[in-house]
Amino acid sequence: MIEVVDAGRWTTVQDRGRPGLERFGIPPGGAADWFAAAVANRIVGNREDAALLECTAAGPTLRFEAAAIVALTGGHSSGSANWQLIRMARGASLTVGTIAPGLRSYIAVRGGIDVPLVLGSRSFCQRGTFGGGFGRPVQRGDRLAVGRLGEHEPVPAPWPESHRLPARGPWEVRVIPGPQQDAFADDALQRLTATACRVTPEIDRMGLRLAMPGLRLQPHEIVTVPMTAGAIQVTPSGGLIVLHVDHQSTGGYPVIATVIDADLPLLAQARPGDTVRFRGVDHAEADRARRRLTGWLELDQ
Amino acid sequence: MVNVWQTTPAGDRALLVTLGHTIDPSLLGQVLALDRVLAGRPPSGLISAVPAYASLLCHYDPAVTDAARLEASILQLEGHVDAAMALGAVVEVPTRYDGPDLASVALATNLTPAAVIEMHAEREYLVYCVGFAPGFTYCGALPDQLSVPRLASPRLRVSAGSIGIAGRQTGIYAVESPGGWNLIGRTALRLFDPAADPPARFKPGDRLRFIPTS
Repeated sequence: MIEVVDAGRWTTVQDRGRPGLERFGIPPGGAADWFAAAVANRIVGNREDAALLECTAAGPTLRFEAAAIVALTGGHSSGSANWQLIRMARGASLTVGTIAPGLRSYIAVRGGIDVPLVLGSRSFCQRGTFGGGFGRPVQRGDRLAVGRLGEHEPVPAPWPESHRLPARGPWEVRVIPGPQQDAFADDALQRLTATACRVTPEIDRMGLRLAMPGLRLQPHEIVTVPMTAGAIQVTPSGGLIVLHVDHQSTGGYPVIATVIDADLPLLAQARPGDTVRFRGVDHAEADRARRRLTGWLELDQ
Repeated sequence: MVNVWQTTPAGDRALLVTLGHTIDPSLLGQVLALDRVLAGRPPSGLISAVPAYASLLCHYDPAVTDAARLEASILQLEGHVDAAMALGAVVEVPTRYDGPDLASVALATNLTPAAVIEMHAEREYLVYCVGFAPGFTYCGALPDQLSVPRLASPRLRVSAGSIGIAGRQTGIYAVESPGGWNLIGRTALRLFDPAADPPARFKPGDRLRFIPTS
């Protein structure tokens, strides 16, 4: 078992989420930085569907009641080794501390965090207050069981820097136009990609509100449509909301462009005040970008 | 045949099929029919679909198919789906009409609160969409006379079971969430339960009626 000595700011159990249930209003969820989470599981030799802890801004302190193999990836933890295998002795503690640069770090434990599956996933769903073992973020005093999903050899060497995403902004985020490009003037996407957007303090796993001084996109109204992670919604007043993994399943604001899967991890690490620039790409570039990350997970050279 | 359905990419792993641009039972019928056909004989690489009002979002595996191939197999179905909706039983939603916005809705519509309740409860509604938050149930159409705009500033917390109206729609909050609809009542009916199968009480195409209780 693992005892939560200090919970950190907002620490939740996450895995790859529960995609496919959006028709019930359920967000797909899962680790916001899917790439960092996958690397953490890879380092400790876990199956891809093993659950881990997602820490936000300031991470927890954990005490291991049994010896464990652990890895910490994603945003930089001030209190621990990053992007490499850590061997915890019985009774030892791990302190993540403040996270920067980046916003979210991932703690994988060999075997996985073993909380009950709810609707096919161990992820905490904030909007539905279920999953994640407790139906809430972890709290001081919680005890987390370790599962048996450590099926592969751990990676003993530090994870190569060449196989990591940028750790800090300014963030270049690639998008595919649409699906509601029709709701905007012809030059709207061009104006959006020419503007440096600023990340506001209003960010969570549901989405990020961005500020872009001077840009007014003025969309038409649309009938409510299904939404995806990465959707860049434009509100009637011209505000931008980029939806993330715990996004609302449907929405009434038109989406000018959608962030590609490979760049969702960048938005998971963006902090208030950071600069985001969007760049339009086609499906071929999006596919190359995704394959590059999955290739890194195989440690292809 | 003139093609009306439009497909547009929703990122690099999903395709949005837009069948129309209005809230209309016959469009919903087409959306649900397309959803049924795709579920029955899924094109290669299709993972799941999400219906809402007049559109269907199709999630696909880009390692198996691509947007162009999926688009082709969907568009060839236009004109070949049976848009008739299966008419199930009308579900009764016991409702206490004591919402915090009942008085302001009455004022805005120039009706008495009792008349607002009577008008809201007298008709049968069609479920157009379950979305936004887990189990949230969007229904229509509200009588024109009850059409009021959303609240100028949304509430940060609306409790589960709250029944609201906005525009020509009425909806039921299934879990506690923020919300901008005018709240006129609440139901004890549980609309979302992660342990149930399916987890949401309603699905698009269902019909319901609000039954006033004291």
